[in-house]
Amino acid sequence: MRYGPIVFLAAFLTLSASWCGFVLTPQIQLGRAVQETNSVVKAELYPQGRPGLARAGLEVYRADGCFYCHSQQVDQKKTLVDVFLTDAGKTPTAVAQALEDAHAGTFSAPGLAAGLPKPVLRNATMESASVLASLLKKAGATAELHLAPAGPDIERGWGARRTVAQDFISDSTVMLGSQRVGPDLANVGARLPDENWQLMHLYAPRSVTKDSPMPSYPFLFERRKTGQHPAPDALQQLPKEFAPPAGYEIVPKPEARALVAYLLSLRSDTPLYEAPLTPPAPPAAATNAPAK
Amino acid sequence: MNSPTNQPVTSAPRDNSGTKDPAVPIWLIVVLFLLVYWGAVYFDEHGGWFDSQVYTPYVSAEQLKTFQVSGGPNPFEEGRAVYAKTCVACHQANGQGAPGTFPPLAGSDWVNEPQPGRMIRIVLQGFSGPGLTIKGQPFNTGSAMVPWNGLSDDDLAAVITFVRGNKEWGNNASPVTPEQVHAIREKVKNHPLSFTPAEIEQISPAD
Amino acid sequence: MNATCTTSSASDAVSTVEIDASCRVPLFTLFVSAAVWLVVASVFGLIASLKFHSPNLLSGCAWLTYGRVHPVATNALLYGFALQAGFGVALWIIARIGQTRVAQPWLIAVGGKLWNFGLLIGILGILGGDSTGFENLEIPSYGVVFLFLGYLLIGFWSLVTLHRRQERALGPSQWFLLAAFFWFPWIYFTANYLLLAHTPIRGVTQAIVDWWYIGNLNLVWFGLVGLAVAFYFIEQLMNRALHSRYLALFTFWTILLFASWSGIPRSAPVPAWIPAMSTVATVLTLVTALSVMVNIYQTCGRGCSQTENPPPGKFIAFGTGAFVIAWLMNSISAIPEVNAVTNFTWYTVAQWQLNVFGFFAMTMFGAIYYIVPRVTGMEWPSAKSVGRHFWLAAIGIILIALPLAIGGLIEGVHWRNPKLTNVDVAKNALNFLRVSTIGEVLILLGNVLLLGNLIGLSVRYYKIHFVPVYKDVTAKLDPAEVKP
Repeated sequence: MRYGPIVFLAAFLTLSASWCGFVLTPQIQLGRAVQETNSVVKAELYPQGRPGLARAGLEVYRADGCFYCHSQQVDQKKTLVDVFLTDAGKTPTAVAQALEDAHAGTFSAPGLAAGLPKPVLRNATMESASVLASLLKKAGATAELHLAPAGPDIERGWGARRTVAQDFISDSTVMLGSQRVGPDLANVGARLPDENWQLMHLYAPRSVTKDSPMPSYPFLFERRKTGQHPAPDALQQLPKEFAPPAGYEIVPKPEARALVAYLLSLRSDTPLYEAPLTPPAPPAAATNAPAK
Repeated sequence: MNSPTNQPVTSAPRDNSGTKDPAVPIWLIVVLFLLVYWGAVYFDEHGGWFDSQVYTPYVSAEQLKTFQVSGGPNPFEEGRAVYAKTCVACHQANGQGAPGTFPPLAGSDWVNEPQPGRMIRIVLQGFSGPGLTIKGQPFNTGSAMVPWNGLSDDDLAAVITFVRGNKEWGNNASPVTPEQVHAIREKVKNHPLSFTPAEIEQISPAD
Repeated sequence: MNATCTTSSASDAVSTVEIDASCRVPLFTLFVSAAVWLVVASVFGLIASLKFHSPNLLSGCAWLTYGRVHPVATNALLYGFALQAGFGVALWIIARIGQTRVAQPWLIAVGGKLWNFGLLIGILGILGGDSTGFENLEIPSYGVVFLFLGYLLIGFWSLVTLHRRQERALGPSQWFLLAAFFWFPWIYFTANYLLLAHTPIRGVTQAIVDWWYIGNLNLVWFGLVGLAVAFYFIEQLMNRALHSRYLALFTFWTILLFASWSGIPRSAPVPAWIPAMSTVATVLTLVTALSVMVNIYQTCGRGCSQTENPPPGKFIAFGTGAFVIAWLMNSISAIPEVNAVTNFTWYTVAQWQLNVFGFFAMTMFGAIYYIVPRVTGMEWPSAKSVGRHFWLAAIGIILIALPLAIGGLIEGVHWRNPKLTNVDVAKNALNFLRVSTIGEVLILLGNVLLLGNLIGLSVRYYKIHFVPVYKDVTAKLDPAEVKP
């Protein structure tokens, strides 16, 4: 290493290799991503983009550094597959035999048609599930495969599936976080959708979560004298030690409302090609019809 | 302090008359190569080979494909997506079009015919020309319908199924398969783009 | 303490005295500002640390919320102290090894002033809510412009100084510094331009660029400059040559090749190949740590445990040891099974603190304590404070890194148990945090000692060198001496 130019060249080549690898190539692969239809409900384009108030909330999230304690990345260790029998077909004995052959357990042939769709194999790998599905098909039944992502983050309820690049294309300033003092927020809009709870949690975290280490954000709220009628968006149900004195109310400032709108817009549970999952069936719609 | 005759090695090349500069210990090279080998194996197993759609825990594009088990194809919903991307600009989200310019699809005759031949032709090759009247309303000749033969048979079948079967618009005609679209595509291969109303009137719907 | 020996017998040789004198102006700007920012960083770091014990501390003021105090502490430490002190020490080493005067010292000092101005408005911007949202890059764009302009002046004239060296062949310290002076503007400009310019890049590519920058700054840049300084001073203080140039070359290449790809976390929402490459590269940085360990150990031999080690030597020795431990911590935690436990925990914070403060800052302290007396020709006002600073800083960083590393590992195990809520996990980590706060206090005290020493020396220098001149110039003239 006698000459300056050789050292310079070494530095230049290694840095350009790293630049090509982590700056250029991801930009080529991911930089022009657009909304795509999701893999289950093809009519929906994902992601929808954050509505105006939530976009303003992202700026509050950034300015107050929420990402130093909260991450927005859900990880997934594996994808488990359940096999659901949807139609027992015309020969339930053959179906029951196929199930036994595949070590899925013993099912009585007459009882197969009851309670469909019902799971016949749970938490299997894709290989064994596909084998069972094809065996069932040969026996004249129809089966569906349901995907269930699994991992420590998902067990904690932080998300239905792992987060992927598509979840963030409509955000500018993507704040994924690098430390978890508090829970992951990638799917918090699905987990904690109550606006009042979120506002109380920002005003005084220990009022809704005992012993929470989160700092309080009273500067996002205004304490003022209650007028003739309480303000409609004043914080309700604050515990006594956090509530303002009588005659006063706590009203969220626009920043607080924006931040909560942003938090409620944080969802990453849509099935996608790169992160497939079978969403839980929506509950049966309530009707006014008399119960059968 | 700096002794004048003892220049540290950081500043000067070692003179060749002295003892040889110790080399990198062999065990360190061995460790390096072992780690490089481990790294290569690890990347092979977990790297997805640079595919932009493979995220852990999936390890390859082929494996990811096997996990695409969304409950079966749904042409109606796929057609809804195609309509939203392609047709909504002119025919509007409610299928009513614009009076005098873009014909409505909701409740219109050619859409609801039992045989879809006319409609497939219009969508494939485009449509323009004088003399079009739909539900008593005349449509001017100024704006032509663009041919959509660039879309695949699947997409065309999906969007035509969606329009024909959209009960919200009052349409209740049969769905269309990609094979039907393909058959018509072959038939009109040599026809110049853009059918006129007169031509469509002459074609039997069953064709 | 003036150096009276000349270096070579060539007729155009520049004496060490002249070299040191040419360094005076830029080093004064860079070192004093660095020491001020260091104290600022420690104060804000202490406030941030205290907020974990009493979350309601100072929570009424938006400017002092944790999410603003924390980035101020890290940015003041990185850009205020670490980079500035690094520039200053690198410049002095380049001048000394090259046996040439610093080129355009006043322009370098102007660069330093621009840097500090940019940092000041940037820090105030962060406190006011303009943080960019990217870790280690929180300075808003209006501050970045001045930081970059300041660097251009500093970097360009430092490279000119290197170019004007007497001995054309380059030694390990110079390779490392040359690469580092080239590395920083590229990564800084790329990251800030892509993330903060008018149309930033979209989606997770932002996060990837941010992580790329963090890895290159913390591992590559601090590694290159810190090791260059450590190698130089080990040779100076031990008065013997570095054990093996080839090992230094090996270290150089492994830093450039592997550490430049580190930094992407395993769980990131990016295609699998990106974290996989980063994992492999970070594990491979193990060989860098091992090569430095072997080189230094063989150089020092049995002499490392001398009781007569002057304080600068103690700092350098501690810094080198911290380098090896921090890089070992980093590469081991990149192994996927280990990373599943350490990801997102205090362990990564401990590793960062050990690398930036334990390794880089301590090495810079040793260098500053060595350089300033030689450049100014004066002794430190309080020699005892230098020794006290060492013990405060050493014990302080150990009290930060060790509990947080252990606490982080325990926290990681707890996070994998879904029955424990995040409040339980936080409560279990609290005692470790309390110990680390004590460490922050000790570090703050040590930094105040450094600042006091520097200011005291500057005041004394001013009094000795400027006041008499000033008095002389402004004295009343004797009418008899005035020529008509």
